[in-house]
Amino acid sequence: MTLTVDGLRVRYGAVEAVRGLSLEVKPGEIVGLIGPNGAGKSSTLNAIMGAAPVAGGEIRLDGASLRGRKTEDVARAGIALVPEGRRIFAELTVEENLRLGLAARRSPGGIDDVFELFPVIEEFRRRQAGALSGGQQQQLAIARALVADPSVLLLDEPSLGLAPRIVSVVFDALAAIRERGLAVLLVEQRAQRTVALADRTYVLSNGELRLTLGPKDASDTEKLVAAYFA
Amino acid sequence: MSVSWQTLADALSLGGIYALMAVGIGLVFGVLRLVNFAYGQLIMAGAYAIAYASVWGWPSWAGILLCFAVVLALSVLMDRIVFRPLRTHSPAVMLVATFAIAFLMQSIAVLAFGQLGTVASSMGPLNQPWDVGGVEIRKIAIVSVVVAAVCLGLLQLLLTRTSVGLHMRAASMDFRTARMLGVRANRVIGGAVLISGLLAAVSAVMLTARNPQVTPIFALDDTIIVLAGVVLGGLTRPIAATLGGFTIGFASGLLGGALPTNQSQYLPTFLFAAVILVLLVRPNGLFARASAGAERL
Amino acid sequence: MKKLHELIAPVALVLGTALLGLVVSSALQTYFLDTLIKVAIVVALYVFIGNSGVLSFGHISFVALGVWTAGVLTVPTAERAAIMPGLAGFLRHATAGNVPSLLLAAVAGLVFAFVAGLPLMRLSGLAAGIATFGVLEIVNNVLRYYDKIGPGLNAFSSVPETTGIWQAAIGALACVVVAFAYQRSRFGRQLRATREDPAAASAAGISIYRQRLLAFAVSGALAGLAGGLYVHLLPVEIDSLYLDVTFITLAMLVVGGSNSLLGAVVGALAIGGLDSFLSASENGVDLLGWHLNLPTGTAELTVGVVMAVILIVRPSGITGGREFSLAWVRR
Repeated sequence: MTLTVDGLRVRYGAVEAVRGLSLEVKPGEIVGLIGPNGAGKSSTLNAIMGAAPVAGGEIRLDGASLRGRKTEDVARAGIALVPEGRRIFAELTVEENLRLGLAARRSPGGIDDVFELFPVIEEFRRRQAGALSGGQQQQLAIARALVADPSVLLLDEPSLGLAPRIVSVVFDALAAIRERGLAVLLVEQRAQRTVALADRTYVLSNGELRLTLGPKDASDTEKLVAAYFA
Repeated sequence: MSVSWQTLADALSLGGIYALMAVGIGLVFGVLRLVNFAYGQLIMAGAYAIAYASVWGWPSWAGILLCFAVVLALSVLMDRIVFRPLRTHSPAVMLVATFAIAFLMQSIAVLAFGQLGTVASSMGPLNQPWDVGGVEIRKIAIVSVVVAAVCLGLLQLLLTRTSVGLHMRAASMDFRTARMLGVRANRVIGGAVLISGLLAAVSAVMLTARNPQVTPIFALDDTIIVLAGVVLGGLTRPIAATLGGFTIGFASGLLGGALPTNQSQYLPTFLFAAVILVLLVRPNGLFARASAGAERL
Repeated sequence: MKKLHELIAPVALVLGTALLGLVVSSALQTYFLDTLIKVAIVVALYVFIGNSGVLSFGHISFVALGVWTAGVLTVPTAERAAIMPGLAGFLRHATAGNVPSLLLAAVAGLVFAFVAGLPLMRLSGLAAGIATFGVLEIVNNVLRYYDKIGPGLNAFSSVPETTGIWQAAIGALACVVVAFAYQRSRFGRQLRATREDPAAASAAGISIYRQRLLAFAVSGALAGLAGGLYVHLLPVEIDSLYLDVTFITLAMLVVGGSNSLLGAVVGALAIGGLDSFLSASENGVDLLGWHLNLPTGTAELTVGVVMAVILIVRPSGITGGREFSLAWVRR
């Protein structure tokens, strides 16, 4: 399904975090969203999930409006978020964390499909999730989102705090997820790798889209971004 | 001080009942971050149901059924009218609101049933002693220990083996993330309120059997002690709340039975002094994980 | 002191209530006196809860301590053996006049709140709520049963009934003025800063613990004074200063709007007035040609309903937690 964001405005009290942002993510596509801290990246994702105050604009999933829907209903409509900081349930087991992902699943099926993508977490399925390493926790968070069998996957800085080797594991997994036909919206700080992976990458600043980059711009990412903000 | 078997059995049964009440309060706290002061008044309402059923000559099972119906209906009503509209407000407002509900229910009871109270005589047989190996023990003491153990066992199964239980546990750890995963807030809260109500109804039956004189302040003192126990144990985890409830119930049952009256009347002083001491050392409770945050904003 | 105009509205409300109390019959006057003492208690609560944002369930124990101090010192020595047969030591002989007994009641509240606050103010949130509740339980329990220091379950009878409308009004006004002075002081402003943003306040070098402790002690003094006024109004049973009063005074504060002094006064007067009117009606009153005679218990019930409704519909209270400002007039 296609996720469409049209003229989105997010406002916290007097602070406008997102000002008229529009983008579209089609099935089998990764769209990157990069920009400095406070640019409105996380606010955009939270607004899509119905967890941030939307002051204007529209959010649609295959044409059906999601604006004003409850967070859990957005999740049940087929949008899954891998939140910033992973937000796994440390006191629950790995398997219980994955079973939580089933809460939003409408199609039949269990948690076993995701082990193919992330074999490492199958080994630890009976362990407490808090005992996993940071990289394993990130894989668990993505796996938990995939268990819901979503059509759209939102990721909020999945590479944060990970060793370069693990970042590759995560980004490879995202490429595989794209192959499955999901629409992926990836918020990242690692600009160059994101531009290289994504079909399109938008640069966000002060709540507005400033620049669009394609995979061929990857090697020049920093130069292009710097030139734009200069 | 000397401890008889009867005192020990009584203390165990009080610990069991208080454990049920504690986990009832703890479950709702988990998902709503709300300490329900009106929990005791739910039990009081259930006790009146039993008492009036007995006055009307109903068989005791019908009285127990009525008790469950009344307590559950009131729990759901409380959730709909008070908890849900106030869910996003400050803990202080919610706390005072449940205080208001408690006060309100108590004054309704005074107005409707009078200050003096009603006797639930249908529960009388449970107060008869049983002869256990030459020692006389009140039936209710044994019954309540068994019932409490069964209830806690069932609850444990529900929390760990069902998806509703899993959702409830997740919601009490991190409500926001749980909702992002598709866990339905209203269903989880409704479930917690319902289970909490069931536990209140069970506690009402047990407390009525222990003390058939039902007044508007029935279970008030018990609830206060349980609240202390819940905080003592730790509110954020059902197990911790249960242990706290059991501990304080057992301790007060034991001390209340074993100390002479001129000392046991100071029981609340000792209990609450202990509670304050524990809170100073471990503000999140004795059995809470060190990292557990006590409040969600 | 800037913003002195914020003091106008609370003072005017208290004075208005007192003046109204002067003109009504002496039977009705009791209700006005009672309401003025409630104002004093709620303002005392406000000094701590309103400024710190931390709930306390323990303040009624400071009131009880004020009742005890002023009561035990002013029962005529000749009658002490009859009223308090178990009384020990110097309590059998020590006496104080009306005003000194009130001041000592305030001092007792101050000292006790300070001592209790030394450990308790390290806590916050729910732990603080339950710990202060524990203080209420302990004080109630001890004063109820320990008859070496007081009348136990009996009332403080024979205490000179010196709390007339003026004494009650002056007492309530004193509480309002102290609360205002505290709130506008450096300490009050620092405590309010910790309520808004504890992390930022700490970073700015404010000790949350010390500021809370100070507010706790000040509010303890005011609560003690209120207790002194109360025992000079009628023969108080210590045991009556327990859950019901704790609840109703807290609800008054929240209903009025716990973030402002005006809210505390408005809440106390509104709920106190309603409660008084309904209680009077339970005994039968004539109002504008109607004879009202309500069944016993109506007052509590109605007050409970009104408070619950206000809490649900307007959780920030009647005043919304704002002080009186001239902008209200211009609107």
